[in-house]
Amino acid sequence: MRIGKYALKLEKRATLSGWEAALISILAIFFALLLFSLLFIQARINPLIAYQKIFSYAFVNPFGLPLAINRFIFLLLCTTAFIIPFKAGLWNIGMSGQLFAGALSVFAIVVAFGGKEFDNPYLSPAKLIPLMLVAAALGGAVSGAIAGFLRGRFNVNEIVVTMMLNFITFWLVSFMIKEGGPFMKSGGEGDGFELPSSIFGPLIKGIPFTIFIALGFAVLLYFMFAKTNIGYQIKAYGLSPAAARYAGIKTFTIPLLVFVMGGALAGLAGYHYFAAVPGLYKIPTNYGYFGDLAFYGIICGLISQGNPIAAIPVTLLFGGLSIGGRFVQGELHMSFGVDYALLGVLMITLVAFQFFYRYKIRWIKTRKESLDVGLPG
Amino acid sequence: MVLAGIKRGETVLSARGISKRFPGVVANDQINFDIKAGEVHAILGENGAGKTTLMNILFGLLQPEEGDIYVRGEKVKFRSPLDAINLGIGMVHQHRKLVSAHTAIENIILGHPKAGTILNMKRAEEEVQELCDRYGFKVDLRAKVWQLSEGEKQVVEILKALYRGAEVLILDEPTSALTPIETEKLLASIEAMARDELAIVPFITHKLPVVLAISHRVTVLRRGKVVTCMETSRTTEKSLAIQMVGREVMFRIERMMVEKGKPILQVENLTAFNDKGLQALKGVSFSICEGEIFGIAGISGNGQQELVEVLAGLRHAQEGKVILDGKDITHASSLDRWQLGIGYIPSDRVDVGTIGDFSLVENVAMNYYFDDNFSRRGIVDYGNLRKLTEEIISEYGVATPGPNIKAKNLSGGNLQKLILARVLSRKPRLVIADLPSQGLDIGATEFVQNKLVEAKKGKAGVLLISEDLDEILSLSDWVAAIYEGQFMGILPGKEAMKESVGAMMAGLPIQEHEL
Repeated sequence: MRIGKYALKLEKRATLSGWEAALISILAIFFALLLFSLLFIQARINPLIAYQKIFSYAFVNPFGLPLAINRFIFLLLCTTAFIIPFKAGLWNIGMSGQLFAGALSVFAIVVAFGGKEFDNPYLSPAKLIPLMLVAAALGGAVSGAIAGFLRGRFNVNEIVVTMMLNFITFWLVSFMIKEGGPFMKSGGEGDGFELPSSIFGPLIKGIPFTIFIALGFAVLLYFMFAKTNIGYQIKAYGLSPAAARYAGIKTFTIPLLVFVMGGALAGLAGYHYFAAVPGLYKIPTNYGYFGDLAFYGIICGLISQGNPIAAIPVTLLFGGLSIGGRFVQGELHMSFGVDYALLGVLMITLVAFQFFYRYKIRWIKTRKESLDVGLPG
Repeated sequence: MVLAGIKRGETVLSARGISKRFPGVVANDQINFDIKAGEVHAILGENGAGKTTLMNILFGLLQPEEGDIYVRGEKVKFRSPLDAINLGIGMVHQHRKLVSAHTAIENIILGHPKAGTILNMKRAEEEVQELCDRYGFKVDLRAKVWQLSEGEKQVVEILKALYRGAEVLILDEPTSALTPIETEKLLASIEAMARDELAIVPFITHKLPVVLAISHRVTVLRRGKVVTCMETSRTTEKSLAIQMVGREVMFRIERMMVEKGKPILQVENLTAFNDKGLQALKGVSFSICEGEIFGIAGISGNGQQELVEVLAGLRHAQEGKVILDGKDITHASSLDRWQLGIGYIPSDRVDVGTIGDFSLVENVAMNYYFDDNFSRRGIVDYGNLRKLTEEIISEYGVATPGPNIKAKNLSGGNLQKLILARVLSRKPRLVIADLPSQGLDIGATEFVQNKLVEAKKGKAGVLLISEDLDEILSLSDWVAAIYEGQFMGILPGKEAMKESVGAMMAGLPIQEHEL
């Protein structure tokens, strides 16, 4: 494109620093909000007021903020569950299955210790909560291990396996909690039984303690990929399995390992929402909603380019906007689906802006037509 | 089909003042080039001289920053290869761009304007067959592409371009993957095409005899600039090499005698299957001692790849034994073998030997991440690795802006230097060098060969696999020829003659022609 003496030029980037990537993402967010304001304008709502309501509900309001933080913890765990196999070049589409595998294991432990039959005041939280966490991680890990094993040993496509496991686990949950199922709530309308109050996940200033687990693992993973030997092997396998094999990296162990780790984190996400978030403490009848939410882990993982630290602000934003969007929808009498539409626009814009990770636009001064080198005779 | 209105000697394609920059390099600097109908005009240059860039510009894959392209005297602008194809420019890529599950003829008509919704395969086949007969191409048009040899695939690509009506044919490294016989056939076909007023532009890295054999004119590129453009008849192999490299080059490395030491590697009656489950290695036995280079000559696909993979621990041995320094390692993992002192230089340096999206430091780590000096308690010592990488870069003269550059930005020769340096710096007992100089230019080939000789002087054993008979004969202390998974004989290097080894490569066992 040419304007006067200047031309707009697309250039390939040789390198991209961390802050450049962050700047591009922030620009993308602003652009997405600008784009979405068209929807508000069309509904005759001042976009500034709408955004003010969304953000203040999600990040300031005493009712909204805890909801947003609960979402954030859940999304961060799901995102890290996606990122670990992603670094090994593998796609974990099974966070929703793994999180329910984790949740079912948690409730199985509670049943085993007699927590279902009566509100047992003698259940020791100091003993049971760690056990529940371990069970959640193990349940998710086993579910993930199926995909990892099949991939490593028989080269079976992990996307298909994790996807199918989602369905299996989904119906397993249904079987367990609905009428006649072992985890059924007596007299409930399709809900699972509630945890005894003594083993509710502890809260710190109203925030589930699982926030430390999520943040801790994000930092730990960053360190693992940046510094450790196993992180190096995972990255090498992810970029080129053939080269990794040449270098002596075990091509069976890596897929299994990343899916065990990813599954364990997704399992913890299951523990978080069904055993540590205030007001829930059960697998509710609309559990499928949480399964859908887990898929945002894929999006957040892709946007943060597999960087677990970058995943923190990204999941915070997505968690907040999903809560805030739902709030303004009711508040401003808009039609259904504002939160999903907002996340959708944001998602597409962020992905589209990754174009600028590879290219930059520059204004260059054009010389006058100096290119006419004639054909020599 | 063809070429109405083109006169012999008319300039069909010319480039004037072509310049193209990439971050950090000027790939093409004011390049002038032209080709006439009926002419074979070779473009010669080392890796990184700007050949690929120029080729991509002429075919519309890249747009030049400065300069113009003229087709039959008219200034044109290629926005994409489609523009170039429509103006009669055809390209035959070195890395074949064919659909391997389709037949040859299906590939040829793919994308052809005549192949609309309804295919007239019969007519297309007849027309393509006519082209084959005219230029002496032999290929089964109904065979699936994956069944074809490299040479046949190239023929399919040429036919595809011709059928599309190409008047200018750009050939990227046309002989690099061909056997000597296939090369001869191709050269004959090129001559036939030139007689038919086609303009042919082969781009060649290192096979100087090929340039001399086929081209009428040759343009030599060095560091993005045209060094010279002259009639081929006025050049010699030596003068071209000097123009290309910018200095004198040795064509042959002297065989160096080193005192023979203890045996390092013993291979006994080794058999293995290939990926398709067929027996590719049928009982191979040999041994390598300290200070020896053991060369295996053979046309690729005769079991060399499988042999190398079995030795490196990447493929299971069916039967037989592999003994390293007296220790049976037949069932050892590849990681164990690295630690026991096997250093493997793979033939595929882009996809196996290096990881393009890793920095040079991380690439060096590929052979060091398991080493206690570079990885303690599970933490990789990237500081130490960086130091090692810097040493490697300066000692081996790897051309790179720095150790944090991604490997995909390096040229083939520099990648090979990096791999070589990384493997040899471990001071391996046994070096397995699989096609170490394939595709490299003269300067880099010389460098690689010198390094292998250095390893031999350092008391390592070297297993050298090569298709280049000259390389095998000039370097090896022992020469074996492999044919269909078996050695046709093992000769001491001094006694191995080109003729006898060539006969062995073609499948004649040593006794029959010796007697």
